[in-house]
Amino acid sequence: MRPRSWRRSALTPSAHAQPAGPAAAPARTPERRRGPRKDRARRALTGWGFVSPAMLVVLGLSILPAVWAFVLSLQDWNGFSTPVGVGADNYRRLVTDTDLHAAVGHTLFYTVLFVPASVLLGLGLALLLNRSLFLVGVYRTAIFLPFVASAAATGILTTYLFNPQFGLANTVLRALHLPQQAWLEDPSQAMVVIALMSLWGQAAFTTVIYLAALQDIPTELTEAARIDGCNRWQAFWHVTFPQLAPVTVFCTVWQTIGAIQLFDLVYTTTRGGPLNATETIVYYLWQTAFKGLEFGYASAVAYGLFAVTLVITLGVVLYSRRAKVQAF
Amino acid sequence: MSHPRPTRRRLAAAAGVAAASALALAACSGGTPSGAATLDPEAKVTITWWTGQADEAETILEGLADEFEKLHPNVTVDVSSGAPSTEDLLQKLSAGFAGGTYPDVSYAYGSWASELAGSERTLDITEQVKDPAVGWDELPAAARQTAQPGGGATIGFPAVVDNLSLIYNTTVFDAAGVEHPTADWSWDDFRAAAKRLTDPATNTFGYGYSVSGSEETTWQFWPHLWQNGGEILSDDEKTATFDDAAGVRALTLLRDMAVDDKSVYLDQTDTKAAELFASDRIGMITSGPWTLYDLQTKGTKYGVVPLPGTDGNHETVSGPDLWVLFDHHDANRAHWSYELLRWLTDPAQDVRWNVAYGNLPLRDSETSSPEFQAQVEAMPGLDVMAENMVNTKHARPTVDGYVKLSEAIGTAISQVLQGQGEPAQALQQAAQTATQALGG
Repeated sequence: MRPRSWRRSALTPSAHAQPAGPAAAPARTPERRRGPRKDRARRALTGWGFVSPAMLVVLGLSILPAVWAFVLSLQDWNGFSTPVGVGADNYRRLVTDTDLHAAVGHTLFYTVLFVPASVLLGLGLALLLNRSLFLVGVYRTAIFLPFVASAAATGILTTYLFNPQFGLANTVLRALHLPQQAWLEDPSQAMVVIALMSLWGQAAFTTVIYLAALQDIPTELTEAARIDGCNRWQAFWHVTFPQLAPVTVFCTVWQTIGAIQLFDLVYTTTRGGPLNATETIVYYLWQTAFKGLEFGYASAVAYGLFAVTLVITLGVVLYSRRAKVQAF
Repeated sequence: MSHPRPTRRRLAAAAGVAAASALALAACSGGTPSGAATLDPEAKVTITWWTGQADEAETILEGLADEFEKLHPNVTVDVSSGAPSTEDLLQKLSAGFAGGTYPDVSYAYGSWASELAGSERTLDITEQVKDPAVGWDELPAAARQTAQPGGGATIGFPAVVDNLSLIYNTTVFDAAGVEHPTADWSWDDFRAAAKRLTDPATNTFGYGYSVSGSEETTWQFWPHLWQNGGEILSDDEKTATFDDAAGVRALTLLRDMAVDDKSVYLDQTDTKAAELFASDRIGMITSGPWTLYDLQTKGTKYGVVPLPGTDGNHETVSGPDLWVLFDHHDANRAHWSYELLRWLTDPAQDVRWNVAYGNLPLRDSETSSPEFQAQVEAMPGLDVMAENMVNTKHARPTVDGYVKLSEAIGTAISQVLQGQGEPAQALQQAAQTATQALGG
């Protein structure tokens, strides 16, 4: 049954003649007197009724904390004493804080390692899996499994795998008569190991996205290219790859945002060590807030990070609009 | 088809929803009803107690709360662990203060004492604990100082006391043919033994030390500093003084062991060294009573002696935890919260809680109790640790800047032990950072 209001609203603005039956005519008359205003209000209320539960959740769990964090970022507060307003002091400190700058450096290093690798690896795996292979379903599942595993579990596994004394990685090196490595306990290697571990999980994500995109590309296009004399590489580079451009933009942005927010793997493996070599921005923020009890300054760091993420996203969206690559 | 609606109205509606939810949230937090201004010990009263414990410890405390209710029928003790882990209690308390719903009594790590006192929501029981019946002076000095952050208000009772002792793995010692440590070892004896125990072929280390840069790294260093005659802070608690000659001597010993002898397993995680010790890969660790339980479970063969000494000074460090009392401007609640803690920390109850659970007793007098003797039987070495409480002379500072100070020196120690930087220079830099944080 159609709701009455739906039918009414469909009829209200009717200036043109409606072939209505004699029974319908009196029903429409009072409706017209109530006017479209009340009717709209009612529809609005119904709408808000539907969205308000979700709205409350979003307001309560996202918007309010975000507003509160902004207020906090203008204060000096240890969580217990009365907060003291300090204006933009916390933001000024962002500029001079060498520990934060080091954390930014570590995060950028990780991003540079992780983002291109995860996009390329995802593309490569998707191309391999996008053909009729024996047991292809098994391979696809195997590739996707690590993505389902929580970062905490991945992290704990890493510490065992790369333990310098008893880990599997060094046992393999020993068997090959190669020098032993300190892995997560060596300041110059730790971030690389973390990037490897997150690739293990995250490449699955880009693989699945690319696989879906590849299956959307009509085979006629590549077939036509091949008939026209392209070799396999040319067909990929000039036909398939341009079709994947929106997905590539999406994956890059998505993985970049994920990379600059790296926290969980660091938390479960190195806790920012050795010698702060893996201290990322978000880990530094967490440490400042919940270990150092500087909630005001940590909120300022969070807002700084938010601003950077926003700029990156806006930049890419604008670029892709201008370049006519519809990624978002 | 959609009818685009005027933006202003949409905004107004959104604002309406926001206002409504803000009202709802405000209603949730609510105001505290005004409490009794004068004490009436017969009045019905409910007090909330966050224990910060889990499993068996929580069961023991809930049983004691029931007993307290039976002794005082007008009192209801609303007891719960308060947070998923002891560590989470801090955030829970902070949120509780913001929302106006905090407990009457909560467990707290000693390192939180100054922050909690700074909240101005704690009670001051300095006068009450002067009553000789409380036996306040029999509690370890370090624990008493922690309960009175900055020498001001006494915000609660010591809850759990501990200290660092030397635990050695007899399997590793016997395999290397090294004589077991004794109570009058010096750090030179310790260093020599660690070197002999270390064997790269079997991945065996003499000693394990955390280089995570956390408080675990830091507090392990304090006994070295104190034994050499150093102090963490100046008398006015405004300047960090751990970078003097005593500090440099202390850190140089650790550096020489880690960098020159390579006899120290440098633990990046705070927990792995204990695990390796339990599986016979590390010969010695410096740790507290909580380790003994794990060693029992894993069947590791071990012995316990006090820390090695410097010129016969075997001083150690203690990390006491607290039961903190919170003010609700209600004389009856304040009275019964205090009474609950006085009763709980009394030797008669303490043997049934701390001792029964495997912690050290709060007072020395409890060591002769049959309950403690039974625990020593089950966990050999607990008696040595209890006796070692006399070697806790200094308390860790309870000043606001301690967290930053700990971080600064923890980083310095980690760097030096990993072969980056020299003790004197690293300590000096850390002391500068720390002094800044202390506002000196």
